[in-house]
Amino acid sequence: MSVDIVETTEPTPVKAGVRLRLLLHSRTGMVGLVIVAVLLLVALAQAVGLVGYDPLVQAPAVRLQGPSGAHWFGTDQFGRDVFSRVAAGVVNTARISLVAVAVATVIGTALGVIAGFYLKGTDAVISGATNILFAFPPLLLALSLASVMERNWFTVAVAIAIVYVPIFIRVARGPVMSLREIEYVRAAVSTGQSRMAIMLRHVLPNITSIVIVQVSLSLSWAVLTEASLSFLGLGTPPPAPSLGSMIYEARTLMYVAPSTMIAPGVVMVLLVVGLNLLGDGLRDVFDPRKRGT
Amino acid sequence: MTQFPWRRALRRVLSMLGTLLGVAVLVFIMLRAIPGSQITAGLGTEAAALTPDQRAALEAYYGIDKPLVVQFFNWLGNVLTGNLGFSSRAQTSVLNLTLGALPVTFELAVLSILLALLIGIPLGMLSASKPDSARDGLGQLVGLAGLSVPSFLLATVLMSWLSAKFAFNPNGEAYATLFEDPVRNLRQMLLPSLVLGFGIAAPIMRTTRTALLEVRSQDFVRTARAKGVGSRRLQVRHILGNALVPIVTMTGLQFGYLLGGAVVVEQIFSLPGIGRQVLIGIQGKEYAVVQSTVLIIALSFVLVNLATDLLYRIIDPRVRAE
Amino acid sequence: MTRGSRAQRGTLSVISLGLAVAMAASGCSSSTATGGSSTAASPKVGGNLVVGITTDPDNLFPWKATQFQAVNVLQTLYGTLTEFDKDLNVVPGLAESWTVSSDGLTVTMKLRTGVKFADGTTFGSEDVKFSLDKIKDKATAAVAASSLASVKSVDATDANTVTLHLSAPDAGLLANLAVINMAILPSESTEQSLKTTPDGTGPFVMKERKASQSITLARNDAYWGPKANLDTLEFRIIPDETSIVSAMQSNNVQLAILNDPLVAKTAQGGSLTVTKTAQLSYHVLQLNASRSVLADVNVRLAIQCAVDRQQVLDTAALGEGEVTGPITSPAYKSDPSSRPCPKRDLAKAADYLAKAGKSDGVTIKTIVSQGEYATSVAEAQNLKAQLAEAKITLDLEVLASDPYVNKWIAGDFDAAVALNGGRPDPDGMYGRYFTSTGNLNKVAGYHSADLDALFAQGKQTSDPTARKGIYTKVSDNLEANAPWIWLFTGFTYTASSSKVSGFTPMANGSVQYLRTTSLS
Repeated sequence: MSVDIVETTEPTPVKAGVRLRLLLHSRTGMVGLVIVAVLLLVALAQAVGLVGYDPLVQAPAVRLQGPSGAHWFGTDQFGRDVFSRVAAGVVNTARISLVAVAVATVIGTALGVIAGFYLKGTDAVISGATNILFAFPPLLLALSLASVMERNWFTVAVAIAIVYVPIFIRVARGPVMSLREIEYVRAAVSTGQSRMAIMLRHVLPNITSIVIVQVSLSLSWAVLTEASLSFLGLGTPPPAPSLGSMIYEARTLMYVAPSTMIAPGVVMVLLVVGLNLLGDGLRDVFDPRKRGT
Repeated sequence: MTQFPWRRALRRVLSMLGTLLGVAVLVFIMLRAIPGSQITAGLGTEAAALTPDQRAALEAYYGIDKPLVVQFFNWLGNVLTGNLGFSSRAQTSVLNLTLGALPVTFELAVLSILLALLIGIPLGMLSASKPDSARDGLGQLVGLAGLSVPSFLLATVLMSWLSAKFAFNPNGEAYATLFEDPVRNLRQMLLPSLVLGFGIAAPIMRTTRTALLEVRSQDFVRTARAKGVGSRRLQVRHILGNALVPIVTMTGLQFGYLLGGAVVVEQIFSLPGIGRQVLIGIQGKEYAVVQSTVLIIALSFVLVNLATDLLYRIIDPRVRAE
Repeated sequence: MTRGSRAQRGTLSVISLGLAVAMAASGCSSSTATGGSSTAASPKVGGNLVVGITTDPDNLFPWKATQFQAVNVLQTLYGTLTEFDKDLNVVPGLAESWTVSSDGLTVTMKLRTGVKFADGTTFGSEDVKFSLDKIKDKATAAVAASSLASVKSVDATDANTVTLHLSAPDAGLLANLAVINMAILPSESTEQSLKTTPDGTGPFVMKERKASQSITLARNDAYWGPKANLDTLEFRIIPDETSIVSAMQSNNVQLAILNDPLVAKTAQGGSLTVTKTAQLSYHVLQLNASRSVLADVNVRLAIQCAVDRQQVLDTAALGEGEVTGPITSPAYKSDPSSRPCPKRDLAKAADYLAKAGKSDGVTIKTIVSQGEYATSVAEAQNLKAQLAEAKITLDLEVLASDPYVNKWIAGDFDAAVALNGGRPDPDGMYGRYFTSTGNLNKVAGYHSADLDALFAQGKQTSDPTARKGIYTKVSDNLEANAPWIWLFTGFTYTASSSKVSGFTPMANGSVQYLRTTSLS
C-alpha cells in the first residue's frame, strides 16, 4: 500500500477557463480523460439497459462459457453475463472511489483549514489525531471497520476515506498556515470579518489547486485499495459486483474460465491507468510548480 | 554552531508520546469492537457448547473478565515496565515474538526501499533530463505500471510462474535469518522486496522527476550555470542535492508504511514478519499480542519520521544555513 | 487473511464416497494412488518429510484444541484408547481389547502394556482414570466433556485394566473415545506444561517449534506400534494454499492437504500426485425453527422443495462433491432421495407456502461468512436466486468470520449458510444438535419428543443393523420436518510428491497415517 502526498507549496489562483484549455492541451490528460470517459459511457449504457443483461440474474444452464456473440466476455459459474457484471462493477468501483475521496476531501480539507487557521489548541488536537491515524496500521483500521459496520458499498467507501482523511489534513494545513500571514488575509481579520467568512472567502479558494492535485492522485489509489480490501475478504459484499471483488472471486477460476478473471482485471488496470493519466493532466494544470515548464 | 534546541526537542518527544498513547487507546478500542473473543477464536463454533460456568472460567483464564478500563491500564502498565504480554498460541512472550518478527520486516523494508531507489531515482532523472520526450514517456510508463498493478496480483503470479516453470521458490524453504544463513535469507527476500520495491519505485520516480524539474528552474541553478559550473557537476551536486528533500520525505513515508503495511506480501511469501504477527493476533483474538505489536509498529513509524526530519537538517542547504 | 481457502471448485470427475482415487494427470503421471494398506515392498526408513499447513496451530493442549491444524499435529503426538482405521471403523488403540456387559452398563478395557509417554514414564490405568475424570470435570472445559455424559465413574481396576460405569448404555462411546480431544495424558500433568512440552504416547515426539514458522517432530522410538519410518516430520506454515503448491513444485514441501479444488488442480501434473477424499463435513442451510415464520413446518418444507441441491453444488462448487442427506458417515449414510422433495418442485413449494398462509412470500434473514470456507458466499448467492423463484426472499448478511461465529453460537439468526463438521457416529454428530438436552440445541433451533426418543434408543442399541435402522428413522424425521436444508458434501485433496508413499487420507480429515508414511 503506497501513498503519494503532494508537497505543500504556496498557492496561487488561476482562472477556470485557462485550466480547461490547459487540460485539453495536455496529452496525458486527454488520453486519461478518453479512457475513463469510454469506460463510464459503456458502463452507463449497460446500466440503462442498452447493452448486456441484468448483472445479477443467474442462468446455470449457460455457466462458464467462453466469450461469444451473446456473452461478449463469457459467463461466470452462475451463468451470469461477465460483460454486464464488469460494466456494473465499473460503476460500483467508480462510485466507491468517488465517494471515498469526496468524503476524505471534505472532512480532511475542512479539518486541515481549521487547524492551519486557528493554530494553538485546535491545531494541536487535529494534528495530534492526524499523527495517530498516520501511525496506525491501515489494515487493522479496515479490518475492525469491516467487522463492526454492516458491509455495503458505502461502508467500504467510508473505510477507505478514513485512511485518507489525515493525508488531506496535512495537505491543506501547510498552505493555510502560510496564507494566514499574507497581507489581505490579515487585513480581513483586522476589519473584523468573521473567521468563517475569511476561511470560505479568502483561504479556501487559494488552496483548491493543491487539494485538486491530491484528489487526482487519490482516485486511482482508492480503486486499488478497494481491490486490496477485496483480497482480504473485506470488499464489497456479493452479489453486487465491484472490479476488485470480481478479480478476487475469479482468482481460482483462472484455469477453468479465464475470461472471468481477465475481463475485470484488464478493465481495472485500464481504469487505474486512465485515472492516473487524468490525474497527471490535472496536476499539470493545477500544480503551481508545473506551470511555466 | 547553534545551541541544541532543548525546547523544540522536548516538544517533539512529548508529541511522540502523545501519538503513541493515542494509538494505544485506539487499538484497544478497535480490538474490542470486533465481535468475538479469544474463547470463540480458539474454539470456533464449538464455543456454543460451553456452559456459563465454563465460559466464566475461560474468561478469567484469558483475563478478559475484568472491566475494560482495568484491562487497559493493566496492559499499559505492563508495557511501560517492559512486559509486552504473552501469546498463548505461540507459548512465548510477545517480546520474544517481536524480536523475531521485527528484524524480518525491517530487513524487507530496507531492501524494498533500496530497490525502489535504485529503480526510481535513475528513472526520474532520465525522465526529467528531457521532459515530454520519448525517454520521459518510457520513464513515466514504468512509473504508471508500478502504480497500476496491485501487489497481490504481481506477487501471486510471479511466484506461481517461477516455481511451476523453473522450480525456483526460495520462499518454500524454512525461513533463515540473515545471521543463520545469509545466502538463503537474501534469496528469500529477493521476490518480496522486488514486488514491494516496484510498487514504491513509482512514487519515488515521480517525486524525483518533479523535484528535479522544479529545482532546475530555480535561480541558484541559473546562477551556477552562469558562473560556468560544469554540466555533470551541476546535475549531481547542485540539482540532485537540492531535490533530495522531497525524495527523502517520500522515502521516509514509504518506509514507515512498509513497517506495518507489508502484510499481504509477507502472507504470500510466508515471511514471518511483524505484519503477519498482527494478522495472526487479530485472527486468534490475542489482544495483548495485537496491542503491543501495533504499538511497536507505531513507535517505529514515529522514529522513522524523526529520523527523516533529522536527515533534512543534514541535507537541506537552506535549513543548514540557518 | 487466508484462514480457510476461499476458492471455487474445478471440474473434476465425481467419485464414490470413502474412496481415494488419483486424479490421472492427463496420462503423464505414472504414480498410483497411495494407500496405507498397500505396503508392497518394505518402506524405506529415514528421511525428513515436510508437510505444508496454512495456519500456525493455536493450541497444543489436546483436550481443548479444535482448530484443524492443531488437531493434525496432536494426532501424531498423542494416543487415544480406541482409534479409527482408514474406513472409520473403531479399532484398538491404547486399549488392547474391551468387553461390554450384557446390560450395557459396564465397559471393561484391557490396556496395552509397555507403552511409554514421551517423557519416559510408563502408561497405565491411573493415567486413563486421571484423563477421563478430568475431561468430565466441568472446570477443565474440555471440548469432549459431553461425549462422556453417560459415564458415571471410571475405576482403575488394576495397573492395566480400567472399568467404565455407565448410567445408561451408550453405543457411541467407543467411537467417541477415538477422537484426539479424548487423548490420554499422563496423570498429574498440567495444561500449562503440556502446551509448551507435549507429552503423549503417539508415533512422534516434539522436537522443535518456531512460532508462526514450523513445528518439527521426531520419530518416537518407544512407540508401542510399528515405528514411524520418517526420522523427522516438519509441519511448515505457509499461509496461502497457492504458495504451498509452489513450495511443492520446488520440492521444499512433500505433502499437503488442500481444501481448494482449483489449487489442487494446478498442483497435479509434473512430479506431484493429487488424490481426493470425500469428507464427513456437510454444507447446509440451517433454518432456525424457533424463530418467526420458520416456526411453521410448512414454510421450512417450502424452502426444502424450492432448492435444487445439484444446482447449488454445480454453481458454487463446480460439481466437486455429492448431494447429501443428514448423515454422511459411510456406515449410516442417509439416502439423499428419501426426502419430501428429492427433486426441485416449485408447485409443491407453492402449496406448502399456501398451507402456511404465506402465498405472498416470506423474507428470511440469512447469515453468511466470508473467509471461513471457500464456497459459502457462492452457495448463498445461488440459494438466493433459486428461492426467489418461489417467492422466498433470502436477505443475505455477509459477515467476516468473527462476527459470523459470534452470531452462530448465540443462535442469533433466522437462517445460516454453514459448513458443519461430521463424525463417524451419527449420535456424536447430531445428538448434540437435535435432542432437547443437546448442548448445541440452541443453534439447531429444533427438537421434538420423537427425535429425543430415537436418539435415546440409538444410544442403547449396539447391534449394527438395528442401529442403522434407528438412524435411518432419525434421518427421515429430520428431512420430514426440515429443520435444516442439507445440501452436499465436498472433498479434501492430498497433494504429494512422487517420493512419498504410505500415506492414507481419511474422510474425517485425520492425518494419522503419517506414522506409516515413508520417503524414498
